[in-house]
Amino acid sequence: MSFSPTEPSRRQKWVAGTLVVVYALVTILPLVWIIATGFKSPSDAIAYPPKVVFEPTLEGYVNLFTTRTRVSEEDFAALPPPSSWYEQIVRDSGLVIAGPSRYGARFANSLIIGFGSTFLCMILGTAAAYAFSRFRVPIKDDLLFFILSTRMMPPIAVAIPIFLMFKNLGLNDTHAGMILLYTAVNLSLSVWLLKGFIDEIPVEYEEAALIDGYTRFQAFYKVVLPQAATGIASTAIFCLIFAWNEYAFAVLLTSGTAQTAPPFIPTILGVGGQDWPAIAAGATLFLLPVMVFTILLRKHLLRGITFGAVRK
Amino acid sequence: MSASPLDQVAAATPVQMATKIKGLSDRAIAWIFVTPTILILLAINIFPLIWTIRLSFTDFRVNRPNAEVSWVGLRNYERVLTDPDIWTAMQATAHFLIWTIVLQVLIGFTLAYLINKKFRGNDLWTTIIVLPMMLSPAVVGNFWTFLYQPQIGLFNYAVSFFTGIDPSSFSMIGDVNLAPWSIVIVDTWMWSPFVMLICLAGLRSIPDSIYEAAECDRASKWRQFWTITIPMVLPFLMLAVLFRGIENFKMFDLVVQLTGGGPGSLTELSSINLKREAFEKWRTGYASAYAVILFVTVFGLASIYVKALNRVKNR
Amino acid sequence: MSEFINGILRLRRGPWEMLASVLIALGVVMLMQPVAIWLYTYSFVVTLVGTIMFIIVSHFPE
Repeated sequence: MSFSPTEPSRRQKWVAGTLVVVYALVTILPLVWIIATGFKSPSDAIAYPPKVVFEPTLEGYVNLFTTRTRVSEEDFAALPPPSSWYEQIVRDSGLVIAGPSRYGARFANSLIIGFGSTFLCMILGTAAAYAFSRFRVPIKDDLLFFILSTRMMPPIAVAIPIFLMFKNLGLNDTHAGMILLYTAVNLSLSVWLLKGFIDEIPVEYEEAALIDGYTRFQAFYKVVLPQAATGIASTAIFCLIFAWNEYAFAVLLTSGTAQTAPPFIPTILGVGGQDWPAIAAGATLFLLPVMVFTILLRKHLLRGITFGAVRK
Repeated sequence: MSASPLDQVAAATPVQMATKIKGLSDRAIAWIFVTPTILILLAINIFPLIWTIRLSFTDFRVNRPNAEVSWVGLRNYERVLTDPDIWTAMQATAHFLIWTIVLQVLIGFTLAYLINKKFRGNDLWTTIIVLPMMLSPAVVGNFWTFLYQPQIGLFNYAVSFFTGIDPSSFSMIGDVNLAPWSIVIVDTWMWSPFVMLICLAGLRSIPDSIYEAAECDRASKWRQFWTITIPMVLPFLMLAVLFRGIENFKMFDLVVQLTGGGPGSLTELSSINLKREAFEKWRTGYASAYAVILFVTVFGLASIYVKALNRVKNR
Repeated sequence: MSEFINGILRLRRGPWEMLASVLIALGVVMLMQPVAIWLYTYSFVVTLVGTIMFIIVSHFPE
């Protein structure tokens, strides 16, 4: 091994590694706990001391997707035997399934609004970012700052007029309204990030294409877009995550048809208060995709959260 | 913003190219590409903002749309800026802001410093550490109320495990003394990785040659840390602090789900306080003035942020 | 220091931006300090002046 004054010694590495691993284990404990609680029975979930070893059950997930009622003892005894495994789980707790819960619909809303706004964001954002990156746009710096500053705006500060505006346009509690709103919220991110990615593509490629007789448009989608594919993909995932996680606008502007999952999950109730296994199950299903995306995005993470300022 | 060489080339090329190519002129394309974005932002961000400013000079109430609206001049601003309740909310925000930033900078920088020792598997552990950051604050905040339960919560159990305090004897979100800290803890848990990532970028931007030169000068490790590491990471740290400052100044989702502003209005941060004025008391004009004050503050901080950003970019 | 004053007099961007940033920071501190309510009352004016100043002076030459 060559000696270098800047290379940390083995002992230093060992100490640093241990400390970081301990921190990492502590920091993911709440997340592990969410996932574990989803598989606990209601009594295990609120046991003291907190149960680390428990018998896993899908009760939380069944409760998440169903609404249940209590029936009189005679009626309960007269019921035909349960026809499915989830009915069995509900019966075991002395209840019968009354119908599906609203979680499925709320999750679907999150998907529709998330993907819809991301799609719009990417189309508008790529175009604008390309123009900002390649052309001499008048008052470019001011426009870019203006775009960024829309991101900084506290949601509550503009919620009142957006609420009024949407009411007048009939957009309150609609998918279209929320898609439009989230597009506006995420546009700043997509423009700034994509501008950074496009800036990194050498102009020479386009120049060559232009000399070959391509028009600007052709050069844009045949040369620049494929080159920027990674950047576009990671920007899209960032937009998706932010739309997915958004809560303030969702809780103020939606209540029924277009309500997304974040305002809905905390309202899941069971017998005698919050049904923690069901909430944990809902949270797990809602958070897992983001965790997976975070792992996929780890190389671009820093860039995404600083609007492309810090590139590593 | 000073243009990078790439920018300059980009800005210089199209003009000559434009004359050679058929189709739309570059200027036209630039406008076609930029206009939709600007229009959407104007419609959904700026128009409502101007509306808010307009409303802030009136006594309009959303729940009484038919009542006559009159101009009240600066009276809403006067009332907001002399309201002791809002002042208290600002102090709650300050407590949250200062402590989250202090703790996150300490933890974030330490972690980055340790990870920069390049021990084996540091990539894997870095990825695990950043996981909480990207999750939905509302959903996670809600689940933390479960972890904070006095009798059954994991947090209270862990505290009692290490200190021997009876876990049912304290309630993080119910207790007047502990509630302000409960939100600080969760926010620090979520966002320390953010500071860590930025510091890591800063540490990695320091060329080894500087340390090697210092080593030749027989500068002690301690001295190297204070005269090389800290000054070189400082611009990055500034960026992180400003960004977290802005985000936490307008903090809403996490704290609403965690404490809902309680107990009483002890953890009612400015955004939550504003939401209550606007959507529970329906004092629209008054709340609009409040919103403008918050917005101007954020906008001012954002200008400084962009300045810090350019400084880091030019490194 | 004299360079700073010189920059201010010759309407250079750097020192003026610094001045505006200080005003904004001062306004934010005044907004959230627990000492005196009159400081809170006048915080908004300070922040507003700082912010508007920042927008204007960021167009000054370097």
